[in-house]
Amino acid sequence: MQIKKLLLGLLLASPTVLWAQGSQVNTQGQKAVGMAGAGSALFVDETSIFYSPGALSKMDHNAVSIGASAVMYRSAFREFNSNDVHHTKFKISPPFSVFATFGPKNSWWKAGLGVYTPFGGSVDWGDQWPGRYELNHLQMRAIYIQPTLSFKLTENFGIGGGFVYNVGLVDLSRSIPTASADGAPGRAELSGMGTGMGFNVGVHYHLEDEFAISLSYRSKVTTKLKDGDAEFTVPPALATSFPNTTFDAELPLPSSFNIGLTFPASERLDIAADATIIGYSVYKELVFDYKDNTPVLEDTKQEKKYENALSAKVGINYEVCDRFDLRAGGGYVYSPVRGPYVSPETPDNNRIMGSIGFTYDLNDRWDLTGAYVFQRILERTVTSANTGLSGTYKTNIHAPGISLTYKW
Amino acid sequence: MKRIFKNIALYIGVLSTFVATSCKPEIEGFQTTPGEANFSKYIAVGNSLTAGFADGGLYLEGQQVAFSNLIAEQLRQVGGGDFRSPFFSENERNGSGYLQLKDLVNGQPVMENVTDNLAYREPGKLSKYTDDIENLGVPGMRLDLSTEGWFGSMNMYFERLLSDSDVGMKTYMQFATEKNHTFFSFWLGNNDVLGYAMNGAVINPNDPTTVLTATATFKQTYSDFIAELTGNDRKGVVATIPDVTAIPFFTTVTRESLIAAVKAQSGQDIQDIYIEIGTGTSRAASDDDLFILPFASAGLLGNTSGENPAPYGLHPSNPVESKYVLDSDEVMAIQARVKAFNNIIKEIAKAEGLALADAHAYLNRVQHPGILYNGVAVNASFITGNAFSLDGVHLTPMGNALIANLFIEAINKQYRSRIPKVDASKYRGVRFP
Repeated sequence: MQIKKLLLGLLLASPTVLWAQGSQVNTQGQKAVGMAGAGSALFVDETSIFYSPGALSKMDHNAVSIGASAVMYRSAFREFNSNDVHHTKFKISPPFSVFATFGPKNSWWKAGLGVYTPFGGSVDWGDQWPGRYELNHLQMRAIYIQPTLSFKLTENFGIGGGFVYNVGLVDLSRSIPTASADGAPGRAELSGMGTGMGFNVGVHYHLEDEFAISLSYRSKVTTKLKDGDAEFTVPPALATSFPNTTFDAELPLPSSFNIGLTFPASERLDIAADATIIGYSVYKELVFDYKDNTPVLEDTKQEKKYENALSAKVGINYEVCDRFDLRAGGGYVYSPVRGPYVSPETPDNNRIMGSIGFTYDLNDRWDLTGAYVFQRILERTVTSANTGLSGTYKTNIHAPGISLTYKW
Repeated sequence: MKRIFKNIALYIGVLSTFVATSCKPEIEGFQTTPGEANFSKYIAVGNSLTAGFADGGLYLEGQQVAFSNLIAEQLRQVGGGDFRSPFFSENERNGSGYLQLKDLVNGQPVMENVTDNLAYREPGKLSKYTDDIENLGVPGMRLDLSTEGWFGSMNMYFERLLSDSDVGMKTYMQFATEKNHTFFSFWLGNNDVLGYAMNGAVINPNDPTTVLTATATFKQTYSDFIAELTGNDRKGVVATIPDVTAIPFFTTVTRESLIAAVKAQSGQDIQDIYIEIGTGTSRAASDDDLFILPFASAGLLGNTSGENPAPYGLHPSNPVESKYVLDSDEVMAIQARVKAFNNIIKEIAKAEGLALADAHAYLNRVQHPGILYNGVAVNASFITGNAFSLDGVHLTPMGNALIANLFIEAINKQYRSRIPKVDASKYRGVRFP
């Protein structure tokens, strides 16, 4: 007799990748990091390429800076009605940034190039936790390369824009419920690289020593992943149902609109505030298109249904002396992820942030900036619409960072 | 100077404590409590499911993940004591022998029997295990035979647990109610229906396990058994009997699949499969008639013989024998009996204040629409459904873990206890070669 479609239903949920808010750790400029992400209107320097392209033309010098952070993303999960708390393994992901400016001094224009990683992270739950069939590990990074031009329309008003080319890398694994002769589950591993394009524009206006405002917009960047590798470890009898193959996927990285303000509170103390709307509603679903389909390895579509998100950040910058600045900040981020769509890749929720930082001018040419930001993703109890996994997540993110600037 | 160092040490201490605690997020634990129940001596009374029977046999790996053993493991966190099972020794780990998947040929399963490291002391008799135990599950145990002393010499799994002088004398009810328990699980009654149904609703006069138990007998024995178990105000959990249409043993081989198989093999364009129904006459099968799983490998369909030149099952004069088929009337009669039994179980549970695990409702949900558990599709499909083992009746380790959680939920609800649930994703479905 024939048992039709015998193997149908072995693979249910698709592999899931997302570039969620949780993966957005803004560490492009360590000065802004020291103020929890505020300061787009305050700092007029090479990092304006990212934060405020309109401010770039107001730089009275040229500079190159290089910086890196050590982002430590630590999540915990407790399944509903269970006593066991599972932690992600200790992983450090190192987002980096390089900014360089070019152009004549005190001119009406300035050019710049930024290379930075606005999205990225590494989370490793291992293969022994209750969500193993949803995710074992995920590592990803989006590298943006952004040439930028900025012009001063008046002494106080600057406008700028840049072109963004993105290279995205992703690598993830999950268990699949196919027990081998020794009872161990199978495993799927997916990795790939994709590219996308977008732009970045902004304006910056200031009143001498009183007030400055920055508006900027970064477009969405749809990263198209082509011919990623899909590898399956399954019992030999199932090997033909799970052929090693390639896959295509599309990952929209959201747009953001940012408004920043700053004003001096005293001669040495500046206050800055930023608010950002992040256009996550573009992330409606995730589709995986496998090149070789079998009855159990079908193309998959997973609902995401993200909403737009909002963040607000406030910081202070205190000039201790000519060569030494201290700063601190705090912020709050509203999550774009609705409860049923929270996933272990980035178990997102609203988050609070606190930060400290400093800049020390080593001499006229060299600056050293350091910052430390702590983010707490608030505890959240959810039941996944895609997998049925039900439980409580909580996450801490630590990100110390440092950057070095050379000016001329 | 010393003082400064002392302070520095203090600062470093405070700082490192802060870093250590803030680095790793903590989630407040689940507050466990036994509630109104006392789990210090839990016994499990039941049949093959309670014993951990799977893949057509009783073997060590299945025993270890019996739902009752998984419950006992969780009860340790709420004051549960030792829970001993009549485990086969490592040398005899394959117990009675069992089925395993040897290969998949064109998506069809090829099975084989495991025949090494068995536990037979002589043919039809398993190695004895007469030490104290709390897992009292006996494969094949029926409610109606739980009061019959002679059943101990007929059922090799029960015989194994009895001392020589008790064999043929002691009833299962006596055996199960003399353990001084403080809490019990009781899941008997399945075989009072299943023995009959698995034989195609044909009663074999020489085999009392093929009888369909009368409702009155069921009611009397069930309340007697529960009365013994609940004496001295002891608490427990009982479970309902699953529907026959919820298990792959009856749902895998269908009229449609048989017709497709004949077409594929012979190229004949046939329309009907003929079956012998309960009344002894034959008719064309409908989609409401259920074929039993072993019919798939019986190799009878289309055969002819000297006595009857008509092809087996394909001609009204040589229908599929009644023992391979539950015809639609038989299905309805069995479902009605299951419903009557479950009403009795629910009434008694309510009257005695016992927790009720509604396995009937749960397995119907597994059958349709299926459940999604932590990213795993669990349904009643044979082999791929993750819930049922290779015999199409008994549970996989994952199925056992899910049933353990069903019982735990019921206990928590009835006795205001907080027993943590089992992580069922740790347990496998069917093993593939």
